[in-house]
Amino acid sequence: MEPTSRRRFVAAAGVALTGLSGCIGGLTAEGVEGQDGELQDSRAGAQGTTTASERVGGIPLRPSALPVEYDLATLREEVLSGGPPKDGIPSIDEPTFQDAEQADSELRPEDVVFGLVRNGEVKAYPQKILVQHEITNDVVGGEPVSVTYCPLTGTAMGFRRGETTFGVSGKLVNNNLVMYDRETDSRWPQILGTAISGEFGGRSLQEFRLVWTTWEMWKATHPETRVLSTDTGHVRNYEQDPYGSYVPNPSGYYVRDSTLFAPLGEDDRLPNKRVVLGARLPESESRLAFEKPALREAGVLSGSVGDATLLGVYDPRLDTAYVYRNPTGRSFDYDKGRAVADDGTRYEPANLPLDRFYAFDAMWFAWSGFYPSTEVVTG
Amino acid sequence: MATETRSRGPVRRTVSRTEFAVRASLGRRDGVAVFAGATALYLLAYLWLGDLLAFDGSGEVGILVAENPLGRLFQPANSALSFEPVALVEFGFGTYLFSLNTLLGLGIALLVGVNLAVTYLAWRQPKACGIASSSSGLLAGVPALLSGAACCGPVVLVIFGIQASSAMLTVFQWLVPVAIVLLVGSLLWVGRKVDPALA
Repeated sequence: MEPTSRRRFVAAAGVALTGLSGCIGGLTAEGVEGQDGELQDSRAGAQGTTTASERVGGIPLRPSALPVEYDLATLREEVLSGGPPKDGIPSIDEPTFQDAEQADSELRPEDVVFGLVRNGEVKAYPQKILVQHEITNDVVGGEPVSVTYCPLTGTAMGFRRGETTFGVSGKLVNNNLVMYDRETDSRWPQILGTAISGEFGGRSLQEFRLVWTTWEMWKATHPETRVLSTDTGHVRNYEQDPYGSYVPNPSGYYVRDSTLFAPLGEDDRLPNKRVVLGARLPESESRLAFEKPALREAGVLSGSVGDATLLGVYDPRLDTAYVYRNPTGRSFDYDKGRAVADDGTRYEPANLPLDRFYAFDAMWFAWSGFYPSTEVVTG
Repeated sequence: MATETRSRGPVRRTVSRTEFAVRASLGRRDGVAVFAGATALYLLAYLWLGDLLAFDGSGEVGILVAENPLGRLFQPANSALSFEPVALVEFGFGTYLFSLNTLLGLGIALLVGVNLAVTYLAWRQPKACGIASSSSGLLAGVPALLSGAACCGPVVLVIFGIQASSAMLTVFQWLVPVAIVLLVGSLLWVGRKVDPALA
Protein backbone atom coordinates (compact mmCIF):
# COMPACT_ATOMS: atom_id res chain seq x y z
CA MET A 1 0.00 0.00 0.00
CA GLU A 2 1.05 3.57 -0.53
CA PRO A 3 2.03 5.44 2.59
CA THR A 4 -0.90 7.28 4.08
CA SER A 5 0.94 10.54 3.64
CA ARG A 6 0.64 10.10 -0.12
CA ARG A 7 -3.10 9.87 0.10
CA ARG A 8 -3.59 13.53 0.63
CA PHE A 9 -6.46 14.94 -1.22
CA VAL A 10 -5.87 17.69 -3.67
CA ALA A 11 -7.71 20.12 -1.49
CA ALA A 12 -4.23 21.22 -0.52
CA ALA A 13 -3.47 21.72 -4.17
CA GLY A 14 -6.52 23.77 -4.74
CA VAL A 15 -8.88 21.02 -5.84
CA ALA A 16 -12.08 20.76 -3.90
CA LEU A 17 -13.57 17.35 -3.38
CA THR A 18 -16.85 16.64 -5.00
CA GLY A 19 -19.52 16.27 -2.41
CA LEU A 20 -17.73 17.76 0.57
CA SER A 21 -20.13 20.62 0.41
CA GLY A 22 -23.00 18.20 0.59
CA CYS A 23 -24.26 18.56 -2.92
CA ILE A 24 -22.51 18.44 -6.20
CA GLY A 25 -24.91 20.69 -8.08
CA GLY A 26 -24.32 21.87 -11.55
CA LEU A 27 -24.33 18.77 -13.68
CA THR A 28 -26.33 18.83 -16.84
CA ALA A 29 -28.61 15.99 -17.67
CA GLU A 30 -26.21 15.10 -20.47
CA GLY A 31 -23.28 15.26 -18.11
CA VAL A 32 -24.66 12.78 -15.63
CA GLU A 33 -26.25 10.49 -18.11
CA GLY A 34 -24.35 7.39 -18.95
CA GLN A 35 -25.74 4.36 -20.61
CA ASP A 36 -29.44 4.90 -19.97
CA GLY A 37 -29.17 7.46 -17.28
CA GLU A 38 -26.28 6.81 -14.96
CA LEU A 39 -25.51 9.24 -12.20
CA GLN A 40 -22.07 10.45 -11.37
CA ASP A 41 -23.34 11.61 -8.04
CA SER A 42 -26.54 10.12 -6.80
CA ARG A 43 -27.27 13.11 -4.62
CA ALA A 44 -27.67 15.22 -7.68
CA GLY A 45 -30.03 12.64 -9.05
CA ALA A 46 -31.90 12.16 -5.82
CA GLN A 47 -32.53 15.85 -5.59
CA GLY A 48 -33.31 16.12 -9.22
CA THR A 49 -30.60 18.68 -9.63
CA THR A 50 -30.08 19.68 -13.23
CA THR A 51 -28.14 22.85 -13.48
CA ALA A 52 -25.95 24.13 -16.28
CA SER A 53 -22.53 22.66 -16.73
CA GLU A 54 -19.53 24.90 -16.54
CA ARG A 55 -18.00 25.40 -19.93
CA VAL A 56 -14.47 26.70 -19.82
CA GLY A 57 -12.51 27.30 -23.00
CA GLY A 58 -15.02 25.26 -24.95
CA ILE A 59 -14.74 22.20 -22.70
CA PRO A 60 -17.66 21.24 -20.45
CA LEU A 61 -16.16 20.66 -17.02
CA ARG A 62 -17.52 19.42 -13.74
CA PRO A 63 -18.16 22.29 -11.38
CA SER A 64 -16.49 20.28 -8.63
CA ALA A 65 -13.46 18.13 -9.20
CA LEU A 66 -13.50 14.36 -9.04
CA PRO A 67 -11.68 12.79 -6.09
CA VAL A 68 -7.92 12.55 -6.47
CA GLU A 69 -5.93 10.92 -3.69
CA TYR A 70 -2.56 12.50 -4.40
CA ASP A 71 -1.57 16.07 -4.75
CA LEU A 72 -1.08 17.13 -8.32
CA ALA A 73 2.66 17.74 -7.92
CA THR A 74 3.13 14.12 -6.84
CA LEU A 75 1.21 12.88 -9.85
CA ARG A 76 3.20 15.10 -12.18
CA GLU A 77 6.38 13.58 -10.78
CA GLU A 78 5.00 10.11 -11.52
CA VAL A 79 4.39 10.88 -15.19
CA LEU A 80 6.75 9.04 -17.50
CA SER A 81 7.15 8.49 -21.18
CA GLY A 82 5.41 5.39 -22.45
CA GLY A 83 7.65 5.32 -25.52
CA PRO A 84 5.58 6.96 -28.24
CA PRO A 85 5.91 10.69 -28.85
CA LYS A 86 2.88 13.00 -28.63
CA ASP A 87 0.29 11.76 -31.13
CA GLY A 88 2.63 8.86 -31.97
CA ILE A 89 -0.48 6.86 -31.14
CA PRO A 90 -2.92 8.76 -33.35
CA SER A 91 -6.44 9.43 -32.11
CA ILE A 92 -9.25 8.73 -34.55
CA ASP A 93 -10.58 12.15 -35.41
CA GLU A 94 -12.83 11.29 -38.32
CA PRO A 95 -14.41 8.01 -37.31
CA THR A 96 -16.60 6.13 -39.74
CA PHE A 97 -19.27 3.66 -38.74
CA GLN A 98 -21.05 0.70 -40.18
CA ASP A 99 -24.13 -1.25 -39.23
CA ALA A 100 -24.12 -4.50 -37.30
CA GLU A 101 -24.38 -6.69 -40.37
CA GLN A 102 -21.38 -5.05 -42.00
CA ALA A 103 -19.43 -5.22 -38.74
CA ASP A 104 -19.92 -8.97 -38.63
CA SER A 105 -17.29 -9.31 -41.32
CA GLU A 106 -14.74 -7.54 -39.13
CA LEU A 107 -15.68 -8.80 -35.68
CA ARG A 108 -15.82 -12.21 -34.12
CA PRO A 109 -18.70 -12.79 -31.70
CA GLU A 110 -16.32 -12.91 -28.74
CA ASP A 111 -14.42 -9.72 -29.64
CA VAL A 112 -14.49 -7.05 -26.96
CA VAL A 113 -16.45 -3.90 -27.74
CA PHE A 114 -17.17 -0.81 -25.69
CA GLY A 115 -20.85 -0.04 -26.00
CA LEU A 116 -22.42 3.37 -25.68
CA VAL A 117 -26.02 4.51 -25.54
CA ARG A 118 -26.26 8.27 -25.42
CA ASN A 119 -28.93 10.74 -26.37
CA GLY A 120 -30.77 7.99 -28.20
CA GLU A 121 -27.82 6.91 -30.31
CA VAL A 122 -26.23 3.48 -29.96
CA LYS A 123 -22.62 2.84 -30.88
CA ALA A 124 -19.96 0.22 -30.33
CA TYR A 125 -16.20 0.76 -30.38
CA PRO A 126 -14.20 -2.43 -30.93
CA GLN A 127 -11.30 -2.91 -28.53
CA LYS A 128 -9.09 -4.14 -31.35
CA ILE A 129 -9.40 -0.77 -33.08
CA LEU A 130 -9.06 1.37 -29.98
CA VAL A 131 -6.01 -0.57 -28.78
CA GLN A 132 -4.17 1.04 -31.71
CA HIS A 133 -5.58 4.56 -31.23
CA GLU A 134 -6.75 4.83 -27.60
CA ILE A 135 -8.99 7.85 -28.34
CA THR A 136 -11.86 8.40 -30.75
CA ASN A 137 -13.15 11.93 -31.05
CA ASP A 138 -16.74 11.36 -32.03
CA VAL A 139 -20.15 12.99 -32.04
CA VAL A 140 -22.85 10.86 -30.42
CA GLY A 141 -26.44 11.93 -30.20
CA GLY A 142 -25.38 15.32 -31.50
CA GLU A 143 -22.87 15.78 -28.72
CA PRO A 144 -19.07 15.91 -29.14
CA VAL A 145 -17.51 13.18 -27.03
CA SER A 146 -14.23 11.35 -26.67
CA VAL A 147 -14.31 7.59 -26.32
CA THR A 148 -11.08 6.55 -24.69
CA TYR A 149 -9.37 3.26 -23.89
CA CYS A 150 -6.14 2.51 -22.11
CA PRO A 151 -4.91 -1.04 -22.78
CA LEU A 152 -2.40 -0.98 -19.93
CA THR A 153 -5.03 -0.35 -17.27
CA GLY A 154 -8.00 -2.00 -18.99
CA THR A 155 -10.14 1.11 -18.78
CA ALA A 156 -12.67 2.34 -21.33
CA MET A 157 -14.19 5.70 -20.44
CA GLY A 158 -16.25 8.33 -22.19
CA PHE A 159 -15.86 12.09 -21.77
CA ARG A 160 -17.68 15.13 -23.06
CA ARG A 161 -15.22 17.16 -25.08
CA GLY A 162 -17.06 20.27 -26.14
CA GLU A 163 -15.32 22.22 -28.88
CA THR A 164 -11.92 20.61 -28.54
CA THR A 165 -10.53 17.17 -29.30
CA PHE A 166 -8.34 14.95 -27.18
CA GLY A 167 -5.09 13.32 -28.23
CA VAL A 168 -2.64 10.77 -26.83
CA SER A 169 0.27 12.55 -25.12
CA GLY A 170 2.54 9.49 -25.13
CA LYS A 171 2.88 9.88 -21.36
CA LEU A 172 1.65 7.54 -18.68
CA VAL A 173 0.93 7.81 -14.99
CA ASN A 174 0.28 4.62 -13.04
CA ASN A 175 0.46 2.95 -16.51
CA ASN A 176 -2.63 4.93 -17.43
CA LEU A 177 -3.11 6.91 -20.63
CA VAL A 178 -2.46 10.62 -20.19
CA MET A 179 -4.69 12.47 -22.63
CA TYR A 180 -4.16 16.06 -23.70
CA ASP A 181 -6.74 18.50 -24.93
CA ARG A 182 -5.82 20.20 -28.17
CA GLU A 183 -7.02 23.55 -26.93
CA THR A 184 -4.74 24.10 -23.94
CA ASP A 185 -2.49 21.02 -23.90
CA SER A 186 -3.56 20.33 -20.33
CA ARG A 187 -2.73 16.76 -19.28
CA TRP A 188 -5.57 14.48 -18.19
CA PRO A 189 -4.87 10.99 -16.83
CA GLN A 190 -7.81 9.02 -18.12
CA ILE A 191 -8.86 7.24 -14.92
CA LEU A 192 -8.73 10.43 -12.86
CA GLY A 193 -10.62 12.42 -15.51
CA THR A 194 -8.86 15.36 -13.93
CA ALA A 195 -6.09 17.53 -15.35
CA ILE A 196 -2.85 17.30 -13.42
CA SER A 197 -1.12 20.10 -15.32
CA GLY A 198 -1.84 22.92 -17.70
CA GLU A 199 -4.53 25.55 -17.73
CA PHE A 200 -7.15 23.10 -16.50
CA GLY A 201 -5.00 21.69 -13.69
CA GLY A 202 -7.27 20.45 -10.92
CA ARG A 203 -10.44 20.58 -13.04
CA SER A 204 -12.37 17.46 -14.03
CA LEU A 205 -14.09 16.36 -17.20
CA GLN A 206 -17.66 15.14 -17.36
CA GLU A 207 -17.50 11.42 -17.85
CA PHE A 208 -19.99 8.79 -18.88
CA ARG A 209 -20.19 5.05 -18.84
CA LEU A 210 -19.07 2.77 -21.63
CA VAL A 211 -20.10 -0.87 -21.36
CA TRP A 212 -17.25 -3.33 -21.64
CA THR A 213 -18.84 -6.31 -23.31
CA THR A 214 -18.56 -8.59 -26.34
CA TRP A 215 -19.72 -7.98 -29.88
CA GLU A 216 -22.12 -10.91 -29.68
CA MET A 217 -23.79 -9.61 -26.53
CA TRP A 218 -23.93 -5.98 -27.64
CA LYS A 219 -25.41 -6.87 -31.00
CA ALA A 220 -28.05 -9.07 -29.39
CA THR A 221 -29.02 -6.30 -26.97
CA HIS A 222 -28.74 -3.44 -29.46
CA PRO A 223 -29.19 -4.76 -32.99
CA GLU A 224 -29.55 -1.19 -34.24
CA THR A 225 -26.04 -0.30 -33.10
CA ARG A 226 -23.54 1.45 -35.31
CA VAL A 227 -20.00 0.13 -35.09
CA LEU A 228 -16.69 1.94 -35.43
CA SER A 229 -15.10 0.82 -38.68
CA THR A 230 -11.46 -0.03 -39.37
CA ASP A 231 -11.61 2.68 -42.02
CA THR A 232 -9.96 5.07 -39.58
CA GLY A 233 -7.84 7.05 -42.04
CA HIS A 234 -4.80 5.22 -40.67
CA VAL A 235 -3.42 1.88 -41.72
CA ARG A 236 -2.94 -0.59 -38.91
CA ASN A 237 -3.11 -4.31 -38.56
CA TYR A 238 -6.27 -4.37 -36.49
CA GLU A 239 -6.04 -8.13 -36.13
CA GLN A 240 -2.95 -7.77 -34.02
CA ASP A 241 -3.05 -6.68 -30.40
CA PRO A 242 0.48 -5.76 -29.35
CA TYR A 243 -0.27 -6.48 -25.69
CA GLY A 244 -1.79 -9.91 -25.94
CA SER A 245 -5.32 -11.08 -26.48
CA TYR A 246 -8.73 -10.97 -24.86
CA VAL A 247 -10.15 -13.68 -27.06
CA PRO A 248 -10.65 -16.55 -27.08
CA ASN A 249 -8.99 -16.36 -23.66
CA PRO A 250 -7.15 -13.44 -22.11
CA SER A 251 -3.42 -13.79 -22.55
CA GLY A 252 -0.19 -11.80 -22.55
CA TYR A 253 -0.21 -8.53 -20.66
CA TYR A 254 -3.89 -8.89 -19.85
CA VAL A 255 -3.31 -11.79 -17.49
CA ARG A 256 0.36 -11.62 -16.56
CA ASP A 257 0.78 -10.20 -13.07
CA SER A 258 3.57 -7.82 -14.04
CA THR A 259 2.80 -4.31 -15.21
CA LEU A 260 4.70 -2.57 -18.00
CA PHE A 261 5.84 0.25 -15.70
CA ALA A 262 5.94 0.37 -11.93
CA PRO A 263 2.43 1.11 -10.62
CA LEU A 264 1.68 4.02 -8.34
CA GLY A 265 1.08 1.73 -5.39
CA GLU A 266 1.16 -1.92 -4.41
CA ASP A 267 -1.99 -3.55 -3.12
CA ASP A 268 -2.01 -7.33 -2.88
CA ARG A 269 -5.64 -7.76 -1.90
CA LEU A 270 -6.24 -8.88 -5.48
CA PRO A 271 -3.97 -9.90 -8.38
CA ASN A 272 -2.79 -6.91 -10.40
CA LYS A 273 -4.83 -7.63 -13.52
CA ARG A 274 -8.04 -8.77 -11.81
CA VAL A 275 -10.92 -6.71 -13.18
CA VAL A 276 -12.87 -4.64 -10.71
CA LEU A 277 -15.82 -2.34 -11.14
CA GLY A 278 -14.72 0.78 -9.34
CA ALA A 279 -16.85 3.61 -8.02
CA ARG A 280 -15.55 6.93 -6.76
CA LEU A 281 -17.83 8.22 -4.06
CA PRO A 282 -17.46 11.91 -3.49
CA GLU A 283 -17.10 11.63 0.25
CA SER A 284 -13.65 11.88 1.71
CA GLU A 285 -11.65 8.64 1.31
CA SER A 286 -14.60 6.74 -0.08
CA ARG A 287 -13.90 4.51 -3.02
CA LEU A 288 -15.42 1.11 -3.50
CA ALA A 289 -14.52 -1.60 -5.95
CA PHE A 290 -16.43 -4.78 -6.71
CA GLU A 291 -14.37 -7.70 -7.91
CA LYS A 292 -16.01 -8.47 -11.25
CA PRO A 293 -15.67 -12.28 -11.16
CA ALA A 294 -17.26 -12.24 -7.68
CA LEU A 295 -20.16 -10.16 -8.99
CA ARG A 296 -20.49 -12.50 -11.93
CA GLU A 297 -20.80 -15.43 -9.57
CA ALA A 298 -23.02 -13.89 -6.89
CA GLY A 299 -25.24 -11.73 -9.10
CA VAL A 300 -25.79 -9.20 -6.35
CA LEU A 301 -23.23 -7.95 -3.84
CA SER A 302 -23.40 -5.26 -1.24
CA GLY A 303 -20.57 -3.14 0.06
CA SER A 304 -20.18 -0.26 2.45
CA VAL A 305 -17.63 2.45 2.72
CA GLY A 306 -17.88 5.43 5.01
CA ASP A 307 -21.54 6.27 5.34
CA ALA A 308 -22.46 4.84 1.99
CA THR A 309 -23.85 1.47 1.07
CA LEU A 310 -23.57 0.40 -2.51
CA LEU A 311 -25.10 -2.46 -4.41
CA GLY A 312 -23.45 -4.17 -7.33
CA VAL A 313 -25.70 -6.07 -9.76
CA TYR A 314 -24.43 -8.32 -12.51
CA ASP A 315 -26.00 -8.22 -15.95
CA PRO A 316 -25.47 -11.51 -17.81
CA ARG A 317 -26.90 -10.10 -21.03
CA LEU A 318 -23.84 -7.88 -21.42
CA ASP A 319 -21.42 -9.47 -18.94
CA THR A 320 -21.29 -6.16 -17.15
CA ALA A 321 -22.51 -4.87 -13.82
CA TYR A 322 -24.13 -1.78 -12.39
CA VAL A 323 -23.51 -0.06 -9.11
CA TYR A 324 -26.28 1.61 -7.12
CA ARG A 325 -26.46 3.67 -4.01
CA ASN A 326 -28.54 1.81 -1.46
CA PRO A 327 -28.98 4.27 1.41
CA THR A 328 -31.79 2.38 3.11
CA GLY A 329 -30.06 -0.97 2.81
CA ARG A 330 -32.74 -2.63 0.71
CA SER A 331 -31.97 -6.25 0.10
CA PHE A 332 -32.21 -7.95 -3.25
CA ASP A 333 -31.90 -11.56 -4.26
CA TYR A 334 -30.71 -12.64 -7.65
CA ASP A 335 -32.54 -15.05 -9.89
CA LYS A 336 -31.99 -15.85 -13.54
CA GLY A 337 -30.20 -12.64 -14.33
CA ARG A 338 -32.58 -10.39 -12.45
CA ALA A 339 -32.58 -8.68 -9.08
CA VAL A 340 -35.53 -9.67 -6.91
CA ALA A 341 -36.76 -7.24 -4.28
CA ASP A 342 -38.29 -8.20 -0.90
CA ASP A 343 -41.77 -7.87 -2.33
CA GLY A 344 -40.96 -10.26 -5.15
CA THR A 345 -40.67 -7.62 -7.84
CA ARG A 346 -38.07 -8.55 -10.43
CA TYR A 347 -35.81 -5.90 -11.94
CA GLU A 348 -33.47 -5.86 -14.87
CA PRO A 349 -29.92 -5.32 -13.53
CA ALA A 350 -29.78 -1.93 -15.27
CA ASN A 351 -33.11 -0.75 -13.85
CA LEU A 352 -33.25 -1.17 -10.12
CA PRO A 353 -35.35 1.40 -8.26
CA LEU A 354 -32.21 2.97 -6.81
CA ASP A 355 -29.81 5.67 -7.98
CA ARG A 356 -27.29 4.16 -10.30
CA PHE A 357 -23.77 5.34 -9.72
CA TYR A 358 -21.02 5.80 -12.27
CA ALA A 359 -18.60 2.87 -12.11
CA PHE A 360 -16.25 1.39 -14.65
CA ASP A 361 -14.08 -1.65 -15.30
CA ALA A 362 -10.41 -1.37 -14.42
CA MET A 363 -7.49 -3.61 -13.64
CA TRP A 364 -7.02 -3.81 -9.89
CA PHE A 365 -3.51 -2.37 -9.79
CA ALA A 366 -4.70 0.65 -11.77
CA TRP A 367 -7.72 1.31 -9.57
CA SER A 368 -5.94 0.72 -6.26
CA GLY A 369 -2.90 2.67 -7.46
CA PHE A 370 -4.94 5.80 -8.03
CA TYR A 371 -7.29 5.16 -5.12
CA PRO A 372 -5.31 3.46 -2.35
CA SER A 373 -8.09 4.22 0.15
CA THR A 374 -10.48 1.96 -1.75
CA GLU A 375 -12.51 -0.78 -0.10
CA VAL A 376 -12.95 -3.89 -2.17
CA VAL A 377 -15.90 -6.29 -2.24
CA THR A 378 -14.80 -9.78 -3.14
CA GLY A 379 -17.93 -11.72 -2.36
CA MET B 1 48.10 19.03 -39.43
CA ALA B 2 50.75 16.37 -39.38
CA THR B 3 48.62 14.31 -37.05
CA GLU B 4 45.68 14.62 -39.38
CA THR B 5 47.78 13.42 -42.33
CA ARG B 6 48.98 10.45 -40.37
CA SER B 7 45.48 9.55 -39.19
CA ARG B 8 43.93 9.78 -42.65
CA GLY B 9 46.32 7.18 -43.94
CA PRO B 10 45.11 4.31 -41.78
CA VAL B 11 41.50 5.34 -42.26
CA ARG B 12 41.83 5.26 -46.01
CA ARG B 13 43.68 1.99 -45.83
CA THR B 14 40.97 0.50 -43.59
CA VAL B 15 38.20 1.65 -45.91
CA SER B 16 40.01 0.43 -48.97
CA ARG B 17 40.71 -2.97 -47.41
CA THR B 18 37.09 -3.22 -46.28
CA GLU B 19 35.93 -2.49 -49.82
CA PHE B 20 38.21 -5.22 -51.02
CA ALA B 21 36.89 -7.68 -48.45
CA VAL B 22 33.29 -6.90 -49.36
CA ARG B 23 34.02 -7.25 -53.09
CA ALA B 24 35.80 -10.52 -52.45
CA SER B 25 32.91 -11.85 -50.40
CA LEU B 26 30.26 -10.82 -52.88
CA GLY B 27 32.32 -12.00 -55.80
CA ARG B 28 31.68 -15.60 -54.82
CA ARG B 29 28.46 -17.46 -55.24
CA ASP B 30 28.45 -18.78 -51.65
CA GLY B 31 29.31 -15.32 -50.35
CA VAL B 32 26.36 -13.83 -52.19
CA ALA B 33 24.13 -16.59 -50.85
CA VAL B 34 25.16 -15.82 -47.27
CA PHE B 35 24.69 -12.09 -47.87
CA ALA B 36 21.26 -12.44 -49.49
CA GLY B 37 20.04 -15.07 -47.04
CA ALA B 38 21.19 -13.18 -43.96
CA THR B 39 19.77 -9.88 -45.25
CA ALA B 40 16.39 -11.39 -46.06
CA LEU B 41 16.11 -13.34 -42.82
CA TYR B 42 17.23 -10.39 -40.79
CA LEU B 43 14.75 -8.04 -42.46
CA LEU B 44 11.94 -10.51 -41.85
CA ALA B 45 12.87 -10.81 -38.17
CA TYR B 46 13.19 -7.04 -37.91
CA LEU B 47 9.74 -6.43 -39.34
CA TRP B 48 8.20 -9.17 -37.25
CA LEU B 49 9.74 -7.87 -34.03
CA GLY B 50 8.56 -4.40 -34.91
CA ASP B 51 4.97 -5.63 -35.39
CA LEU B 52 5.13 -4.63 -39.05
CA LEU B 53 4.84 -8.16 -40.32
CA ALA B 54 2.39 -10.69 -38.96
CA PHE B 55 1.50 -14.18 -40.04
CA ASP B 56 -2.12 -14.40 -39.03
CA GLY B 57 -3.60 -16.40 -41.87
CA SER B 58 -6.43 -13.97 -42.51
CA GLY B 59 -6.85 -15.29 -46.06
CA GLU B 60 -7.38 -11.77 -47.35
CA VAL B 61 -5.44 -10.36 -50.28
CA GLY B 62 -5.24 -6.65 -50.99
CA ILE B 63 -3.52 -3.34 -50.47
CA LEU B 64 -4.80 -0.44 -48.42
CA VAL B 65 -3.08 2.93 -48.64
CA ALA B 66 -3.45 5.56 -45.90
CA GLU B 67 -4.98 8.94 -46.57
CA ASN B 68 -2.26 11.40 -47.59
CA PRO B 69 0.52 8.77 -47.58
CA LEU B 70 3.32 11.18 -48.47
CA GLY B 71 2.33 13.51 -45.67
CA ARG B 72 2.38 10.65 -43.20
CA LEU B 73 5.58 9.02 -44.37
CA PHE B 74 7.81 11.03 -42.04
CA GLN B 75 5.30 11.27 -39.21
CA PRO B 76 6.76 9.81 -35.99
CA ALA B 77 4.92 6.80 -34.62
CA ASN B 78 5.34 4.50 -31.66
CA SER B 79 8.85 5.40 -30.58
CA ALA B 80 12.08 7.11 -31.56
CA LEU B 81 13.03 6.43 -35.18
CA SER B 82 9.66 4.85 -35.79
CA PHE B 83 7.34 6.11 -38.49
CA GLU B 84 3.67 6.00 -39.32
CA PRO B 85 2.61 3.10 -41.59
CA VAL B 86 1.31 4.31 -44.95
CA ALA B 87 0.25 1.07 -46.62
CA LEU B 88 -1.13 -2.25 -45.51
CA VAL B 89 -0.59 -5.33 -47.64
CA GLU B 90 -2.57 -8.50 -46.97
CA PHE B 91 -1.09 -11.52 -48.70
CA GLY B 92 -3.26 -14.40 -47.65
CA PHE B 93 -1.30 -15.88 -44.79
CA GLY B 94 -0.05 -12.62 -43.36
CA THR B 95 -0.13 -8.87 -43.18
CA TYR B 96 2.61 -6.36 -43.85
CA LEU B 97 2.65 -2.68 -42.93
CA PHE B 98 4.86 -0.45 -45.06
CA SER B 99 6.52 2.54 -43.47
CA LEU B 100 9.93 4.18 -43.46
CA ASN B 101 10.85 1.57 -40.88
CA THR B 102 11.09 -0.98 -43.66
CA LEU B 103 13.80 1.12 -45.32
CA LEU B 104 15.51 1.58 -41.96
CA GLY B 105 15.32 -2.15 -41.34
CA LEU B 106 16.57 -2.88 -44.85
CA GLY B 107 19.60 -0.66 -44.29
CA ILE B 108 20.46 -2.47 -41.08
CA ALA B 109 19.75 -5.85 -42.69
CA LEU B 110 22.16 -5.04 -45.55
CA LEU B 111 24.85 -4.18 -43.02
CA VAL B 112 24.25 -7.43 -41.17
CA GLY B 113 24.32 -9.33 -44.49
CA VAL B 114 27.65 -7.80 -45.50
CA ASN B 115 29.11 -8.47 -42.08
CA LEU B 116 28.08 -12.09 -42.20
CA ALA B 117 29.27 -12.54 -45.77
CA VAL B 118 32.70 -11.21 -44.89
CA THR B 119 32.79 -13.26 -41.70
CA TYR B 120 31.77 -16.32 -43.69
CA LEU B 121 34.59 -15.80 -46.14
CA ALA B 122 37.05 -15.31 -43.31
CA TRP B 123 35.93 -18.62 -41.88
CA ARG B 124 35.97 -20.49 -45.18
CA GLN B 125 39.14 -19.19 -46.75
CA PRO B 126 41.09 -16.98 -44.41
CA LYS B 127 44.37 -17.41 -46.26
CA ALA B 128 43.09 -16.95 -49.78
CA CYS B 129 41.65 -13.53 -49.11
CA GLY B 130 43.91 -12.53 -46.29
CA ILE B 131 41.08 -11.98 -43.84
CA ALA B 132 41.69 -12.94 -40.26
CA SER B 133 39.01 -15.09 -38.75
CA SER B 134 36.49 -12.93 -36.93
CA SER B 135 33.06 -13.31 -35.50
CA SER B 136 32.63 -9.65 -34.70
CA GLY B 137 30.05 -9.32 -37.45
CA LEU B 138 27.86 -11.82 -35.70
CA LEU B 139 28.18 -10.08 -32.37
CA ALA B 140 27.38 -6.70 -33.89
CA GLY B 141 24.19 -8.20 -35.23
CA VAL B 142 22.76 -8.66 -31.73
CA PRO B 143 21.99 -5.00 -30.95
CA ALA B 144 20.98 -4.62 -34.57
CA LEU B 145 18.36 -7.31 -34.12
CA LEU B 146 17.21 -5.75 -30.85
CA SER B 147 16.80 -2.45 -32.66
CA GLY B 148 13.94 -4.07 -34.51
CA ALA B 149 12.19 -4.22 -31.16
CA ALA B 150 12.91 -0.55 -30.65
CA CYS B 151 10.33 0.21 -33.30
CA CYS B 152 7.52 -0.81 -31.01
CA GLY B 153 9.17 0.62 -27.95
CA PRO B 154 8.57 -0.96 -24.60
CA VAL B 155 5.66 -3.00 -25.89
CA VAL B 156 8.11 -5.73 -26.81
CA LEU B 157 8.87 -6.04 -23.09
CA VAL B 158 5.29 -7.19 -22.62
CA ILE B 159 6.21 -10.38 -24.43
CA PHE B 160 8.86 -11.12 -21.85
CA GLY B 161 6.96 -9.72 -18.88
CA ILE B 162 9.75 -7.27 -18.12
CA GLN B 163 8.95 -4.05 -16.32
CA ALA B 164 10.13 -1.04 -18.28
CA SER B 165 11.82 1.99 -16.82
CA SER B 166 12.82 5.39 -18.09
CA ALA B 167 16.41 4.19 -18.33
CA MET B 168 15.37 1.23 -20.45
CA LEU B 169 13.33 3.45 -22.75
CA THR B 170 16.39 5.61 -23.23
CA VAL B 171 18.35 2.51 -24.19
CA PHE B 172 15.64 1.56 -26.68
CA GLN B 173 15.90 4.95 -28.32
CA TRP B 174 19.59 4.43 -28.94
CA LEU B 175 19.41 0.88 -30.24
CA VAL B 176 19.09 1.81 -33.91
CA PRO B 177 22.02 4.27 -34.04
CA VAL B 178 24.13 2.02 -31.81
CA ALA B 179 23.38 -0.94 -34.07
CA ILE B 180 24.43 1.00 -37.15
CA VAL B 181 27.66 2.20 -35.51
CA LEU B 182 28.51 -1.31 -34.32
CA LEU B 183 27.81 -2.91 -37.68
CA VAL B 184 29.85 -0.37 -39.62
CA GLY B 185 32.54 -0.60 -36.95
CA SER B 186 32.70 -4.38 -37.07
CA LEU B 187 32.89 -4.33 -40.86
CA LEU B 188 35.78 -1.90 -40.77
CA TRP B 189 37.39 -3.93 -37.98
CA VAL B 190 37.42 -7.01 -40.15
CA GLY B 191 38.36 -5.04 -43.25
CA ARG B 192 41.31 -3.47 -41.45
CA LYS B 193 42.92 -6.87 -41.11
CA VAL B 194 42.75 -7.60 -44.79
CA ASP B 195 45.98 -7.55 -46.71
CA PRO B 196 45.07 -7.48 -50.41
CA ALA B 197 48.67 -8.45 -51.20
CA LEU B 198 47.98 -11.88 -49.76
CA ALA B 199 44.91 -12.41 -51.85
